[in-house]
Amino acid sequence: MHRPEHPPLSRRRFVGGAAGLLAGAGLASIGRGAFAQSSATMEQPFVNGRRNLVAFPEKRPLIVLTTRPPQLETPFEVFNEGLITPNDAFFVRYHNAGIPTSIDGDRHVIKIGGNAVGKPFELTIADLRTQFKPVEIVAVNQCSGNSRGLFNPRVTGGQLGNGAMGNARWLGVPLKDVLAQAEPKNSARQVTFNGLDIALFGGGDFVKALNVGHAMDGEVMLAYQMNGADIPMLNGFPVKLIVPGYYGTYWVKHLSEIEVIDQEFEGFWMKPAYRVPDNDCACVEPGTTPAATRPIGRFNVRSFITSVADGARLAAGRETVVRGIAFDGGQGIREVAYSTDGGQSWRGARLGADMGRYSFREFTFGFTPDKGGYDLRVRAWNRSGQSQPMEALWQPAGYMRNVVESVKVTAV
Amino acid sequence: MSVQRTALLAMALALGMVCAAPACAGSKNIELPPDGVQLKPSALPGYAKAQAACVACHSAEYMLYQPPTAPRPYWDAMVKRMKGVFKAPIDDADMPLIVDYLARTYGSEQPK
Repeated sequence: MHRPEHPPLSRRRFVGGAAGLLAGAGLASIGRGAFAQSSATMEQPFVNGRRNLVAFPEKRPLIVLTTRPPQLETPFEVFNEGLITPNDAFFVRYHNAGIPTSIDGDRHVIKIGGNAVGKPFELTIADLRTQFKPVEIVAVNQCSGNSRGLFNPRVTGGQLGNGAMGNARWLGVPLKDVLAQAEPKNSARQVTFNGLDIALFGGGDFVKALNVGHAMDGEVMLAYQMNGADIPMLNGFPVKLIVPGYYGTYWVKHLSEIEVIDQEFEGFWMKPAYRVPDNDCACVEPGTTPAATRPIGRFNVRSFITSVADGARLAAGRETVVRGIAFDGGQGIREVAYSTDGGQSWRGARLGADMGRYSFREFTFGFTPDKGGYDLRVRAWNRSGQSQPMEALWQPAGYMRNVVESVKVTAV
Repeated sequence: MSVQRTALLAMALALGMVCAAPACAGSKNIELPPDGVQLKPSALPGYAKAQAACVACHSAEYMLYQPPTAPRPYWDAMVKRMKGVFKAPIDDADMPLIVDYLARTYGSEQPK
């Protein structure tokens, strides 16, 4: 089922594969010379962690996990520049090599159909912008595999540090309002989402699914702006599915097809991909295989110190204000505690302005060290009382890492 | 606004090419950079096969950045996934050669 169709190729161009790259060489918005090999590299804090930093279109130099298709990670220092992650620093994650490189935003069409709607229809982005009441939300997007490279024992897959996350202000239209026009039937069970990116040989197109109740909750959104500007091409121009509190795998880019269906969708990217152990911790004993799995869902609670890097030197006898960010899957952050002695004693950090329960929440605390070494840790709780484990949990796919992080500093 | 831009805007309006600001998404064209890394050369027969079968679709960071502990069954599963799920045109006879090259070049069987 679910054979995706795409708008006419004349409106889009793809790259992918050697032939695609040659065909794309005629595109001239940015000359090939602009991509002279950068010598900038960085080192992730795990074995085999050297990475190149390259500026892709509409992006500043970002950590390259893969060039083709692009997977780019935000350098961690960006998270200390502000609570909103700039568009040109926002992480990028594609799955298939056939990605669009030319899109006419206004004429881009979203087809809404499936066997559980009464009135299938098509919508242009111009329609989306003018015929519906817009809403805005600040929400974190985080890759399921953010921090995978830090798993111990190591797991295979994209070896990311902590930079496959970002917080943005999304402007768009509630999916509920769009789907209502298609008149979903009582038989509706799931809603599937497909974008313009394609698999070059026809297998494994990137299609994701949400239960219909979730899709109609009023928060899931079709966004056409990100931080007050058009969405960068590599983040899903001209329209991206926003699923607040849920891992980025559901935030389909270049959204082109929505189907309301009367059964559970079981495409590759829902099953067996992007699944977690079906238990409370979404974890198993290291090295073992879960007995049962479920599709990955909401973020767990995370917190990071952003103003001080591991290995930093601080001035002894002077107060340092330590700053960081916390977030969760949508309850909102209630409390952040900090420790300067590796977790033996804890005190409360100050929370910054509340930008909404899906946003990064700033915290700060003052710290006046004597000379010596310190192990700084922060731990957040959400409004349901959920928190972060002191020891890292493990699962074979390397998703959902949320351990209390350790930042070791020396005061001199 | 410069005279030239005003003239261009008037021409665009006359041609119906400009839409009202909130309705306008414009268009984007990008050109992506070349691959940052290449497959590691090897005397193993799977090297040439991998150049043809693997990097036709994706860049070599997918292999290079795996943990060096990645065991042969991982590489075997990935090659089978590329053919089984993504329909990569790989001859069955080439698959063990590619797996052997990957496990010995990027995985747990690489020379210490």
